[in-house]
Amino acid sequence: MQLLRDILDKQVVDREQVKIGKVDGLVAELRRGKPPRIIAVELGSIALARRLGSRPGRWTARLVARMSGKRQARPHRIAWNKVRDIGVDIEFDIDVRRTKILAWQHWLRDHIVGRIPGA
Amino acid sequence: MKKLLEISLGIVTSVGGFLEVGSMATAAQAGALFGFKLIWSVVLGTICIIFLVEMAGRFAAVSHHTITDGIRERFGFNAFLWPLIALLLVNLMVLAAEIGGVAVAAELATGLSFRWWALPVAFVAWLLLWKGTFGLIEKGVSLLGLITLCFVVAAVMAKPEWKQVAVGAVPSLPHHDAANYWFMAVSILGASISPYLFMFYSSGAIEDQWDRNHLGANRLIAGLGMSFGGTIAICVLVVAALVLGAHGVNQVDDYNQLPLMLIQIFGLWGFVLFVASLGIACFGAVLEVALQQAYLLAQGFGWTWGENLRPRDDPGFSLVYTLTLIFAAIPIALGIDPLRLTIFSMALTAASLPLTVVPFLFLLNDERYVGHHRNGFISNAAVIFVIALGFVLAAVTIPLQIFGGT
Repeated sequence: MQLLRDILDKQVVDREQVKIGKVDGLVAELRRGKPPRIIAVELGSIALARRLGSRPGRWTARLVARMSGKRQARPHRIAWNKVRDIGVDIEFDIDVRRTKILAWQHWLRDHIVGRIPGA
Repeated sequence: MKKLLEISLGIVTSVGGFLEVGSMATAAQAGALFGFKLIWSVVLGTICIIFLVEMAGRFAAVSHHTITDGIRERFGFNAFLWPLIALLLVNLMVLAAEIGGVAVAAELATGLSFRWWALPVAFVAWLLLWKGTFGLIEKGVSLLGLITLCFVVAAVMAKPEWKQVAVGAVPSLPHHDAANYWFMAVSILGASISPYLFMFYSSGAIEDQWDRNHLGANRLIAGLGMSFGGTIAICVLVVAALVLGAHGVNQVDDYNQLPLMLIQIFGLWGFVLFVASLGIACFGAVLEVALQQAYLLAQGFGWTWGENLRPRDDPGFSLVYTLTLIFAAIPIALGIDPLRLTIFSMALTAASLPLTVVPFLFLLNDERYVGHHRNGFISNAAVIFVIALGFVLAAVTIPLQIFGGT
């Protein structure tokens, strides 16, 4: 398996097959005397912006911090040991409702979309 | 029997997808100005879109990825950003043109200026997307779209010299207005080879849960559906050449001239048929392009998507089509001429083709996605041809826009 080819930018789903996002970044751990090891995947706008360069990454982090608080100013991470299956999508053994990854979609639902009649 | 029904529905849907304000307006203008001479570009565009649609369907059925998913996954986010931005812009302009088309139909029917119709049209489209399901939208609107067959009847009743029509299918050099001739050819190609068409088709294949068993159906739907669409567009061109050209209208710069095409042949009913055809064909396209914009962002960023979900279950997806419809309605409500916007956005579509078609060459030859259902020699040759055409179109569109545009 090649990490960049086979993992990066794949669709991520949780254990209920809910679409969470794409693998926007990978976190590797460098170990002395051993090959590096993947420990987590990153999701969200900050991880994406970092791929365009360090400056867009910093700007996006600042923007996110201003909009939703300092604690959100880092990309969302899912630990690699939660991987359950890699097929068309990558399935992680997590429940997305217990994370903050979809917080903005839930905010949209509660404050905008859900208030429009018929939603 | 069920398969047969599925295939015929698919074909009807593709016809509905093909025929929209772009193909109608460009064909009518080309026919009025150059007679049958530009039929070849409708034929060429139709052949290209058949190949691309077949590939989009095959890719989705075998790999269970939409084209958007495939581009992001295969080329990475940074490369994906370019087609993403191009498509968002082109879709928005095409959507504005389609809303303009429905609004013009409403103006012709009621006499009230098209500007007042832009927002109501966008609202009705939004309501259907908000409350409706994929099946309802796909099948309902495209069945109504069969009304555009009246152009075929009109073309036969107008008794063209079929030999001349056949001669028009062979490319030839213009005798007058060379810049305008090539600009029209480019616009017709842009109207026929619309990225939203094959992107939407691959999303539809995923929504309908296609698999390898659908490959035969896919080939039939792509081939027959697009051919029928192309045939109707040629009929529009033929009728425009015979009726508008014969009346000395050879510069269609006002959409009020367009209904004349059918009035001459069917009398008052021609007017009704023209208004209904224009309105329904464009309205179907409004729904498809607005949905495509939402598919594009949702699939590109991995959000939940699907027209069968309730809006509150895919808030990001529903918000995208809502905002897109509002933004696209604004230029029409402000009074931008729908006909000029249409021609302009078709040329822009043509220029954006390399960005969306180059990925096909890689995705459809990658065994990890399509296994042994890879492109054969002919399909690859077709993609390379469309890419080359796209680059030429991109290079010539901008100068032609300045020198040849109406």
